[in-house]
Amino acid sequence: MKNFFISHRGSLLTLLGLILLPFLVGLLNGASPADVFVNGNGQSKFIQGLAIEIFILTIYALSFDVIFGITGLLSFGHSMFFAVGAYLTGIAIKSFGLSLPATLGWLVVASVVQALLFGLVLPRVKGITFALVTLGLGSVFHILVMSSEFGEYTGADVGLQGVIVPAFISPATERLRFYFVALTVMVLIYLLYQRFVNSPTGRVCVAIRENEGRAQMLGYNTFYFKLSALLLSSLTAALAGFLHTLYQPIVSPNTAGLGYTVTALLILLIGGVGTLNGAFVGAIVFRLLDYGLRRYIGESASFINGAIYVLFVLFIPYGIVGTWRLKSLQIKQGWERLLKMFG
Amino acid sequence: MNSFLRKNIVMLVTVLVMAVFLTAAAQGMEKKDFVITLLRGLAVGSITFLVASGFSLIFGLLDVLNLAHGTLFMIGAYMGWTVVVRPDTFVDLLTPLALIVSGFALGDVYPLLASRIRLGLSLRRLLPWALILVSILLFGFILPRYPIAIWDVENYAQSPVTFSFMADSGARLPVMPAAFTEVTMPSAFIGLLLASVIGAFGISLFDSSPRTVRLSWKNFVSIAIALIVAIAGVAFNDNLTAFLYGLSSNWLFFVAVLVATLSGVALGGVMEATLIRPLYSRPIYQLMLTLGMSAIGIEMVRAIWGRPEFVMPKPAFFNGGGEACPATNFADWWANNCSTILILDGRVRVYNEIFIPIVGLVVLISIWILLQRTRLGMIIRAGVQDSQMVEALGINVRRVFTMVFALGVGLASLGGVLAAPSMGLSNLMGESLLLNALIALAIGGLTSYPGAALGSVIVGMIQQFIIKYGQIGIAIPFTEIIFKPTPPLVPASTVMLMVIILLLLPNGLLGKKE
Repeated sequence: MKNFFISHRGSLLTLLGLILLPFLVGLLNGASPADVFVNGNGQSKFIQGLAIEIFILTIYALSFDVIFGITGLLSFGHSMFFAVGAYLTGIAIKSFGLSLPATLGWLVVASVVQALLFGLVLPRVKGITFALVTLGLGSVFHILVMSSEFGEYTGADVGLQGVIVPAFISPATERLRFYFVALTVMVLIYLLYQRFVNSPTGRVCVAIRENEGRAQMLGYNTFYFKLSALLLSSLTAALAGFLHTLYQPIVSPNTAGLGYTVTALLILLIGGVGTLNGAFVGAIVFRLLDYGLRRYIGESASFINGAIYVLFVLFIPYGIVGTWRLKSLQIKQGWERLLKMFG
Repeated sequence: MNSFLRKNIVMLVTVLVMAVFLTAAAQGMEKKDFVITLLRGLAVGSITFLVASGFSLIFGLLDVLNLAHGTLFMIGAYMGWTVVVRPDTFVDLLTPLALIVSGFALGDVYPLLASRIRLGLSLRRLLPWALILVSILLFGFILPRYPIAIWDVENYAQSPVTFSFMADSGARLPVMPAAFTEVTMPSAFIGLLLASVIGAFGISLFDSSPRTVRLSWKNFVSIAIALIVAIAGVAFNDNLTAFLYGLSSNWLFFVAVLVATLSGVALGGVMEATLIRPLYSRPIYQLMLTLGMSAIGIEMVRAIWGRPEFVMPKPAFFNGGGEACPATNFADWWANNCSTILILDGRVRVYNEIFIPIVGLVVLISIWILLQRTRLGMIIRAGVQDSQMVEALGINVRRVFTMVFALGVGLASLGGVLAAPSMGLSNLMGESLLLNALIALAIGGLTSYPGAALGSVIVGMIQQFIIKYGQIGIAIPFTEIIFKPTPPLVPASTVMLMVIILLLLPNGLLGKKE
């Protein structure tokens, strides 16, 4: 038990920090925890909002990590997974008046269907061709969302707006509750992914990334493993989309475009591809950077974003977490050498 | 023959089905509509082909999926516009650009210089960074102070839109020539040259593989050219500007095409040498890098040329009007230079629908000859098959890589400048065209050169036919319903075709089976 606490002290401290974050920010601004509890307006509410966006981005980036970083499938249609969740939630609540659990039920059905759709393509195409086919599927969905035929439901190129969120979780009045719901979901998804990566299935997925031919030679039917990764990814991304719709007043059609897939890629690149913690670190850096740049520089923020992207690719290819892991070994070795020197 | 049938049955059936669709589409509309749509399809196909062929050459030889290709296409278009509409800006830009490139033109000399430097390991590792930092600081100091007569994006009366509009109606806005005020001319000149040489030397130090280079006069040709251009740009600034302003719009357009293509070639060469080359061991990262480059390129274009869309004026050769127009046959057109010509009673725009496909065909044939009949083409084809083997045979594949990348980007820029008068210039033209080119390549076969041509033509045709049917409507047989495809169906249809073809033939129509 004691070992558990020591070996996971980083994660546990982060979790504790995230739980206390709204109250600490409130205290710094002179608002008592009671104030924060009743969702008084102030800095704390704003920070909570930013944190919720980071949690949603983390869930989304994690869902991309499991197919790109773990299984090694490069999909350019990943934003479709997210957008299907976001749009389905909005349409179910707004146009059909479904309750949240019923919406979640439909979400599961839809994400399984779309994972199977991507899975249909899997055995036929590999590598770059898979990226192109998924790009194609994703763009078809993007075009459908943008087209005026379904404008009644999707809001066409303006975006889906006017979704009335149930009062008990409304981000406007019950921000703190929403914060903890999003935090819980993120932590649960993270633990699930940790379990997945360390499970035999996850191990085979890593083997597929490293060398698919060899994994097949060992007798694994790689198709099923890739499909299961896709299923998991699709479900998670749809969940992120669900939270996104509940939190944001408007679902922009950009969430279905290639740019949103690139966002996931960028987050993973900053954090570290294939490292699950990297998704969270990357989401923090990405969101804060984006926020700061837009606030202080304005329009040309995506220039800086692109430059950071290029610099990361060229000089920190393993991302923040990946590089940290590499270097921490060196630090440990150096420490041991130092200890040896003195006795 | 029989075995050919058996091997390619899927491909043949697909082609047959598409041919049936084409005949069905032809039945549904009048002859003049059909001809116009066919020509428009060819025009879109040609532009797509110019982008797609470069993309496929790069992908085939270098294994780099260059997602910045659409952005480079766009930059070519904007470069061409600058030459046509603001020749004075172009002349002012010549000197600094030539100076920036000149350092990299000295590439073969640096290994010699590097082998002379004896330093400790940590210093040796630090040196390139220090040099690059110095170079960036020098550039950052001089470039903002270098005088360039330029438009003003913020001010509408001086914005590219206004200049473009005025140029289209044959008038030119008066412009103020820029003069050296904040830095003196010699110090700016020498400073830029120094910065470029230092920076290029720093970058070359990253490549630690030992090389023996024997210097000859050939190594100094490119830097001599760059320096001559730079000096001429400063010394004869006014004369050059006056000369370009005095040219007829046809010759100016020709100069613009040349400049855009050459700057594309230079940009491609520099990009490969500095950004792509360090990442050959990590292909996925190359892809991400090009994605980032594409975002940067779009933002730069936005910052320099602004967001509003505008059109590059057509050369007078294709832009005539008056009593005699539209021309009824080609002799008539040649005499009057009409902007449109009557073919089978349909009005066809000469530049958009006849000139561009002809250029596309010329490029198709010349690259085909380059690939099939020259030594370089032989190396490229062999490299597509197995680049390691080619390297083992003692051929400098890296140099061929740079050349092919430069060639591909040059083709994209050529496509951009050709498309500028017909499609117009916008910040998003690159992305939509890149999607088209990707679809075309996926249909035709990713690394197949004829496949790129076939796929581009198919994509162009399908889009134009659907746009046309969106206007006249399709009568669905046995019913009274007339189905009119809406604009969003245009990209969706080609994307669906791509998905279907990739599922049937994972390597595309003409791609080789692995």
